[in-house]
Amino acid sequence: MNMLSDHLKNNIRFLDEVDSWEDSIKLAAEPLLHNGCITPKYIDDMIRNVNVNGPYIVIVPGIAMPHAKNEDGVINTGLSLLKLKNPVLFPEGKKVNILIVLAAEDSTGHLDLISDLSSILIDEDVMDQFKNCGNEEEFIQIIKMVE
Amino acid sequence: MNVTQVKTPSPRARIQAFGGFLTNMVLPNIGAFIAWGILTALFIPSGWIPNKELEAIVGPAITYLLPLLLASTGGRMVAGQRGAVMGAIGAIGLIVGSDIPMFLGAMIIGPLGGWVIKKFDKSIENKVPAGFEMIVNNFSIGILGFLLMILSYFFIGPVIESANNLVTSAIKALVSTGFLPLLSLINEPAKVLFLNNVIDQGIYYPLGMQETLEAGKSIYFTVASNPGPGLGLLLAFSFFGKKAAKRTAPGAIIIHFFGGIHELYFPYVLMKPLTLIGMILGGMSGITVFKIFDAGLVAGPSPGSIFSYLALTPKGNFLGIILGVLVAAGVSFIVTSIILKLDKKAVEDDDEVFTTSIEKSKLMKSEGKQISRESDEILTVNNISKISFACDAGAGSSALGATTFRKRLQKENITEIEVKHYRIEDVPADSDIIVVHKDLLERARLSHKNKTIITIDNYINDPNLAKLMNELKEE
Repeated sequence: MNMLSDHLKNNIRFLDEVDSWEDSIKLAAEPLLHNGCITPKYIDDMIRNVNVNGPYIVIVPGIAMPHAKNEDGVINTGLSLLKLKNPVLFPEGKKVNILIVLAAEDSTGHLDLISDLSSILIDEDVMDQFKNCGNEEEFIQIIKMVE
Repeated sequence: MNVTQVKTPSPRARIQAFGGFLTNMVLPNIGAFIAWGILTALFIPSGWIPNKELEAIVGPAITYLLPLLLASTGGRMVAGQRGAVMGAIGAIGLIVGSDIPMFLGAMIIGPLGGWVIKKFDKSIENKVPAGFEMIVNNFSIGILGFLLMILSYFFIGPVIESANNLVTSAIKALVSTGFLPLLSLINEPAKVLFLNNVIDQGIYYPLGMQETLEAGKSIYFTVASNPGPGLGLLLAFSFFGKKAAKRTAPGAIIIHFFGGIHELYFPYVLMKPLTLIGMILGGMSGITVFKIFDAGLVAGPSPGSIFSYLALTPKGNFLGIILGVLVAAGVSFIVTSIILKLDKKAVEDDDEVFTTSIEKSKLMKSEGKQISRESDEILTVNNISKISFACDAGAGSSALGATTFRKRLQKENITEIEVKHYRIEDVPADSDIIVVHKDLLERARLSHKNKTIITIDNYINDPNLAKLMNELKEE
């Protein structure tokens, strides 16, 4: 089963606000750390990626997809999501209130997950609903719609 | 004039592009030809410093190295590194299947191999189950290459044999007419196809030796080995050729004319096949002069350098032989120069008929260039077949961008464009456009100096992507 909804189940968190973008990545990735998909190194790698290459992981306004090259930090492919009530500022003043952490073992094994994600982002109506989800159940429902 | 108005490439652009394609396949490998030429001129038994051991390189280098390089370059131009591998695999079948160097064959099978793997890759795109990409990639080349290898092996033998038979019987027919200048019609094309040794040692030398027994010399030794036409051709390229062809031609002259390694000029003819006319007319005028002066050589000049010519010229024949070489060089120089100049001008001249606009002529030139992908000029969307999204890891944002863009293309029913994602440094050379986040532009520029790079700030809804999509739609 390689469905986005399955991967995100129990990996979605909600917070009011965080202190910094670094914290937002750490907190968003915590579920993956707990279920053994990643090691703490991967969190550092993701933060360093932004410091080195810029906030390009902010893929559309409001949504960031923290990720990095897998240099022994990823054990199993996985995704987790963090929704913030108040947006956090990434470098270059980019506001983000949804973080979708992507941990990919290699560059190909997770492409159907990416494809589902793309289906959500490509459709403005779906994306609006996605941005306004208030609990895990709603998120999962919208994702299942596009799968 | 708006670039997007150019919908399908005109025949002119196609011919320009095809010429550019041949040139691009040959030019990167001229250095290898020169290396081989120097080696040969020095170490073969009739060379400057004969050396049995080093001579052993001569055969394998021209049989294997040079055709494989051409095939690999040809394949790469069609389908990147995977095409290069397929091209070389196909060429080895040809090479082993024939006993003459397979240059023309390599220049056909190389791009063909590239085309095959490109078509295959496109047909399975999006259909490979996740995790199987590597095995599919390797085995597709493996299996298709295996088939191509066998096909080219069995195909080439009969083709070469019939080409040889055709050439031999044509030459015999022409000899019996008694009008020897006509021989150039067969000699020159046959030489460029590397049948030179076949016709010289198989036909002309026996004829020549027979005649020498009676007359002490023979014109047959000169009909295909005259270094004059090649000299004229290379001089024309030195003066009127373009870019790298112009710069390499003088070096080739030394190895061809003094070293007697005619193979050095073959690539120049192969990249501009029209110049064969100059070679044929040059060869004809050379034979005519030899005939008028009743000149001949006492033995087969091998290699056909000006020095072996002079060494084998019998007393009293020097004027005729030297004139024959010079006249042949002069004629082929003049004709080839005209061809090269016309080729340069063709675009502008035609233009006057259609419109006086200079812009349009520029456009046409770049149109030709776009097809052969040697241009890094402003983005024209003609013939884009591969768009590569790139990011640091080649797994996250680039994959998301590529997937989304692919979906949009599908929605517009545009199916002939391949959209993939890579690490910046791994983007293959056959990509027509590279898309990166603006933060990563510098790094992308570093690895891909001459590529069209589009920068984005938003992987889903970026104005630059929307613009690209619109242009692709109009195409």
